[in-house]
Amino acid sequence: MDFRGIHDRLRAVGAPGLAGLDQPRAPNPADKKDKGRAGDPFVWVEPARLPEFLEVCRDDERLAFEILVDLSAVDPSKDDPNLWIVVHLLSLAHRHRLEVKCTLPKASAALPSSTTVYRAAQWHERECAEMFGITFVGHPDPRHILLPEDWVGHPMRKDYVFPDEYHGISCK
Amino acid sequence: MGLLERQFEENVLTTKVDWLLNWCRLSSIWPMTFGLACCAIEMMAVGCAHHDIDRFGAGAFRASPRQSDLMIVAGTVNFKMAERIKRLFDQMPSPKYVIAMGACATGGGPYYKYGYTVVKGVDRVVPVDVYVAGCPPRPEALLEGLMKLQEKIQQSSVIRRPARTA
Repeated sequence: MDFRGIHDRLRAVGAPGLAGLDQPRAPNPADKKDKGRAGDPFVWVEPARLPEFLEVCRDDERLAFEILVDLSAVDPSKDDPNLWIVVHLLSLAHRHRLEVKCTLPKASAALPSSTTVYRAAQWHERECAEMFGITFVGHPDPRHILLPEDWVGHPMRKDYVFPDEYHGISCK
Repeated sequence: MGLLERQFEENVLTTKVDWLLNWCRLSSIWPMTFGLACCAIEMMAVGCAHHDIDRFGAGAFRASPRQSDLMIVAGTVNFKMAERIKRLFDQMPSPKYVIAMGACATGGGPYYKYGYTVVKGVDRVVPVDVYVAGCPPRPEALLEGLMKLQEKIQQSSVIRRPARTA
């Protein structure tokens, strides 16, 4: 299925939390400032219902996304009050892909863990948690995965302040 | 001492012992098997037949710090690793030497500005004898570094130990 077909199917089965779609478009030739939008089409989903949404994507026989390719996060700008969660799904049976995005407020970045649906999400969520300070509620093993356990701050946040020293070793 | 007195120039005997011991040391510098990043690939090339670090007596890569004389820090050192490097260095028996191989181990390299977990030079953790430039250095450059270290060992003295601050 192409993206339009996937989106229609998601609407038809009433995928929980589906909040809209975003598609690439060509720039408007009349407007010089309009650069259009490059990249892939994706669907917006409410973060609180992301696991339920993914469960429908996985279990619906026309969608059948067996594989969670990636679960990541984005801090778009210092001025933006929101973070994004970006999920990439792949179906080998139907040879199609889907990109899913959620927005999360930086002030209270928490959402339910998707590990109950895709176990592959465990390490991805641990990385997002330490790099962006996102809490995945219900994660079975919420330790740091890359950084030392006593690391201060979330390095991928745009407002991250570099540490002066770590265990007596100067960082400057 | 009656027979030997004033038969030789001063300190001749001591100098010869120095030379012998230094020659023994510099001809069998055993490095530790220990690579951190892409520089380690070049270090492996140095160990293989084409460049052949064995010509310098330094081909016996030991799997234990307790049998090693030389630590070649080949690659990016991050804070998680730095504490382990310090520990490995402490476990090596003296006399021990350190070569900082490549830009990362020398001063942070490309991660100097934005690498939040990269130690800006392994000399902040262990004392470095020779710095080898390059990103990564050619195998010839590492051999040159090894020869520089041999020159350094040649100049050391059994009696006048060079002060070492860990």
